[in-house]
Amino acid sequence: MLSRAAGKIAQTLVVLLIVSIASFSLLKLAPGDPVLLMLGSEFDQASYDSLNHALGLDQPMIVQYAEWLGNFVTGDWGTSYVARADIFNLVVREALPVTLTLTACSLGLAILVGVPVGVLSAVKKDTAWDAGAAVFALTGTAFPSFFLGILLIWFLGVKFGAFPVMGFVPPWEDFWTGLYHLVLPSITLSTFFIGMIVRVTRAALVEVLDQPYITAAKARGEPGWRVVWVHGVRNIMMPVVTVIGLQLGGILQGAVLTETVFSMPGIGQMLTNAVLGREYMLVQAGVMLTAVLFILVNLLVDLSYPILDPRLRPR
Amino acid sequence: MTRDTGEKIDHKAVLAARLSSRIGRRSFLKGVGVGAGALAAAGLGLTPDLARADQAGHIRIASLSHIDTLDPHFTFFLSAVQVINNIHNGLLKVTFDGEAVKFEPDLAATWDMEDDTTHLFKLHEGVKFHDGTACDAEAVKFSLMRVKSGEPKSPHAWKLELLDEIEIVDPLTLRLKFSKPYAFLPVALTGSTGRAGTIVSPAAVEKYGMDYGRNPVGTGPFKFVSWKDNDAIELEANPDYFEAGMPKLAKASFMLINEPSTAVAALVSGQIEGMNDCPLQLVNQVKQVPTVNLYGGVEGNYTYVGMNTRKAPFDDVDLRRAVAFAIDRDAVVKQGYFGLAQQAFTPISPPMTGFYDPNIAESDRGQRFDLAKAKEFRAKAKTQGDIEVTYIMTEDGPGGTRVAQTLAPMLAEIGIKVKLELLEPAAWVKRMKDGDFEILDFRWWADLDPEETLYPEFKSGGSWNYWGWENAEFDRLCIEAGATIDQAKRAELYREAEDHLMDEAPVAMLAHIPVYKAFAKKVEGFQYVPCDLVNLHTVSIG
Repeated sequence: MLSRAAGKIAQTLVVLLIVSIASFSLLKLAPGDPVLLMLGSEFDQASYDSLNHALGLDQPMIVQYAEWLGNFVTGDWGTSYVARADIFNLVVREALPVTLTLTACSLGLAILVGVPVGVLSAVKKDTAWDAGAAVFALTGTAFPSFFLGILLIWFLGVKFGAFPVMGFVPPWEDFWTGLYHLVLPSITLSTFFIGMIVRVTRAALVEVLDQPYITAAKARGEPGWRVVWVHGVRNIMMPVVTVIGLQLGGILQGAVLTETVFSMPGIGQMLTNAVLGREYMLVQAGVMLTAVLFILVNLLVDLSYPILDPRLRPR
Repeated sequence: MTRDTGEKIDHKAVLAARLSSRIGRRSFLKGVGVGAGALAAAGLGLTPDLARADQAGHIRIASLSHIDTLDPHFTFFLSAVQVINNIHNGLLKVTFDGEAVKFEPDLAATWDMEDDTTHLFKLHEGVKFHDGTACDAEAVKFSLMRVKSGEPKSPHAWKLELLDEIEIVDPLTLRLKFSKPYAFLPVALTGSTGRAGTIVSPAAVEKYGMDYGRNPVGTGPFKFVSWKDNDAIELEANPDYFEAGMPKLAKASFMLINEPSTAVAALVSGQIEGMNDCPLQLVNQVKQVPTVNLYGGVEGNYTYVGMNTRKAPFDDVDLRRAVAFAIDRDAVVKQGYFGLAQQAFTPISPPMTGFYDPNIAESDRGQRFDLAKAKEFRAKAKTQGDIEVTYIMTEDGPGGTRVAQTLAPMLAEIGIKVKLELLEPAAWVKRMKDGDFEILDFRWWADLDPEETLYPEFKSGGSWNYWGWENAEFDRLCIEAGATIDQAKRAELYREAEDHLMDEAPVAMLAHIPVYKAFAKKVEGFQYVPCDLVNLHTVSIG
């Protein structure tokens, strides 16, 4: 058991190392010079050289990488050269909570809407309900999130003035205002996942509802809701949880667009600006954090299997 | 005021005339007497009255472009200057009465010229920085020296290159001596686009060092509170501000928003009260919104097509001339700039009154659309037959990639086949600065004076001269104009310099672009200045 855990951790570290090398070299290989971007149009060669040197960008790439890695693992994530602030603070304390809140709300919304619609679709298989749910799910999955965001802003935000169109208010400071600001971004970000969850829930439940134990439950005279929600849904948790875990990467990717459209100071917007400004260290930190999150969630999904399915518990 | 012996030149009157008449919508202030009167009135000034205005209201303004630092002496971006100018004051300031732009004393109570190279500034009494330290002659000297010779080097140091000596006459009086007459001085010493004359707290610079840009301390109507990345820059009223009755607002926030359409939606739905810039593609829509006012007009800028004169095919002056005459500017303005811009014949822009020729369209100066002439020059070019060139473009600036797409068929008319290459902004900037291109379009922005609109951009070997164009006569004329205070003479010199530039055509002029700010109707008292400023001194929310 212990050796399995150690193996898992070693595996994780190798993955992270590969991610760090890949993102570092991709960023360095991309054309564009951060010093030029920082200096704008008015500068002379002397200011260019001094800034280039101050940022350590005159060093060979491998030296820059080694230096970065050494600092990163010892917890020194460096200083953002635009914000002139500690990157760990910027990424972990400021941007991460925003993105996590947005992700949690979107995921919550996706589950709250997606699972019931999927269940409905499975129970009323091959009826108008089912067809309606399929259209709903496919439209949601196919709709580009940034475009949906802009539509929501114009209709719900501007035309009806029902919701704020931008910004982030931390719910831990002002719960209701925070939630209010999260409505439109959460809808935007969750649409894609609602579609996924509906389809997976339906497919899994249709199969489960054909099982003998469901027929047995019905024969025992259990009420319909109990048959579906207790005997049925309990048995489709595994595929649904797996899909949610795997899609978290997609949620983080969607957050880049959603945060930009709704002007939220999360990791997505931070990464966008950092990439455009070639803020290597900031991008690295953001990418590493995203990778860690992704691996962590999948680890959690792994660990949840025995809880969801007693047959997988060690005897 | 002392006077040079010998020559009877009233330097101040000459400079004053230049200052008050040079930039304006209509050049009605041409006379020396009127100009001198205007400056004298400004120079007398009002003694600061530390009236404590009742400050109320919170304005939230979308800031759409990148802000690098709030250190006035190091910023490269006008979006940063917009915020900086609410926190700091300059020795001089730019004002606009709807007709003419003037340069008036700001932190200085009076400004006199003892001779054509010596300027005497008397400061307002009792002005304090936000950290409580006094803004006196020592502090002003500190700021000027920080720009001129500070370490690390300020990118604006060149603006004070001619400054020879700063003499502190008394705690509130400074005498600045320049090595030769310096016509650009009024712009350089403003706290706005000039930046070199912005006064920062020496104590704060000492305390924060290079992190001053994240902790600015000035004398302005607003104090810096916080700057949260990708979120907002927060300011609060300075209750001890030295100009009477200002500021009127209690708080101001510059919301850092990347997406212009989000900002417009927020403005229309009342979530914010203003936008620091309304991109051209949104102007016609915003005009339709009954709750929003647009402020703006054509400013001191120009857009152009730049050609790399260092390598084939545009090392050929006849080919460049052919390009300059082949561009139908009307079509560019309509398709590239949504019909909102004004054709540019030369770099000097309409707001630079006294230098800009309002009748230039009827004259034979500058570049314009003339297909017959274009074909004539094309026939003289070294390479005949079709030429294929790569035009690098990026989604940036007022025209985005639309300008390039509009130009391609026009160049095809003269046998130049354009291959459009779309680059991401960082890559595009690098190619331009490295001279790794054949043709592209770009712009110069928010200039107040022909000096800054011509010379640094096109001087031989200059670091902004991406075209690699060299012309000794152009350089000589610009240098002479920079040291000429008499406006008519100076204008003549710049005209001649421009003629060389336009004739050899390293660039083909396109347009002068209007710049807009949008505010909700309930925002009152915004004073528009045509150099991309968002001064909130007099703004209130009704």
